[in-house]
Amino acid sequence: MGIVTDKLPGALEKVPGGNVLVTRFDEIINWARANSLWPLTFGTSCCAIEMLMATGGPRHDMARFGAEVARPSPRQADLLILAGTIVKRMAPRLRTLYEQMAEPRYVIATGACTISGGPFIYHSYTTVRGADEIIPVDVYVPGCPPRPEQLFHGLLTLQKMIKEGETIREPGVRRKPVISALPEGVTLEDIQGEMKELLVKENVVDVHQAVDKLKWPSGTNDGS
Amino acid sequence: MDREALQAAVCQLDSSIRPLEENADRAAVVVEAAALPAILRRLRDEPEFAFAQLLDHVAVDWIDREQFELVYHLYSFKHKHFLFVSVFIPREDPRVPTVCRLYPVAEWQEREVYDLFGVLYEDHPDLRRLFLEDDWIGFPLRKDYQDDFMLDRPR
Repeated sequence: MGIVTDKLPGALEKVPGGNVLVTRFDEIINWARANSLWPLTFGTSCCAIEMLMATGGPRHDMARFGAEVARPSPRQADLLILAGTIVKRMAPRLRTLYEQMAEPRYVIATGACTISGGPFIYHSYTTVRGADEIIPVDVYVPGCPPRPEQLFHGLLTLQKMIKEGETIREPGVRRKPVISALPEGVTLEDIQGEMKELLVKENVVDVHQAVDKLKWPSGTNDGS
Repeated sequence: MDREALQAAVCQLDSSIRPLEENADRAAVVVEAAALPAILRRLRDEPEFAFAQLLDHVAVDWIDREQFELVYHLYSFKHKHFLFVSVFIPREDPRVPTVCRLYPVAEWQEREVYDLFGVLYEDHPDLRRLFLEDDWIGFPLRKDYQDDFMLDRPR
């Protein structure tokens, strides 16, 4: 109960007898929804290989965010991660998959092709110009392809949106879609510079001090 | 058999076959549309050629000459040699006899060319669209294909 009462101070309150009083049920439902997303991966081209496959691996581990059960099936899924170009022939199938998912369902569109048609927007007779021509999209993750970290940023944005967003008093009322990108005014160079500064500051080692701290100081195994 | 010898040997099969000099690196010949199945059957069955594999079948839209060029890529596992067989057909009435009785893989390759270029393969058992929707209007890889959906790049 500790984690619940810590995370939801507005919804659960301790009654002096040791019991818990539920004050706002919306908070609990949204908290549970946001932290147990089951993604349906819809990967049609390079985004699925470059980004989506890396997210399940050990380096960028999607299980950290409670969205681990990624599988190519709409069964039990409530988050549709679109990764890749959507062509006209695929569009009805995508719509079918979306309609087979359980309510409430959320959609993350990743990559330039899924958001806008990408490089195939000109002189092309096949490519759908954006997934929102077919299904409503909640979070857009830009990039070509996005880094796995960008997908996680989109996932956290969606979780925040779910936690703050819906209420069972107004079913069907959704917030506007958001673009998951860096905040305005912050560039990639800023972040890289900050990281470089940190690395320089933390990574200085005084070799002589370090040698003195060793169990066997230098000079003991030279045969003398 | 090197390129020139193969090309000469194929041209001796029939008087209507002529070499295609535009292709520099592999043997290429031009045949008439009506004679295509008979010539491909001889190329497949005679042990001197033994072209057992139809690697690919593509079309080229020569809009300025008002012609389609249909190219059959043949390969022989026995002799390890390649041959391009080209057929030129008029653009306004593109018809050619099917070769899917000789090479079963041609059934889908011809469907692809029909889907994108609109070439009619006579006596094909199942000539339907392959990549595009069944109700698609027009043939997108023709040079004069127009579609309201297509956007031009701004200059």
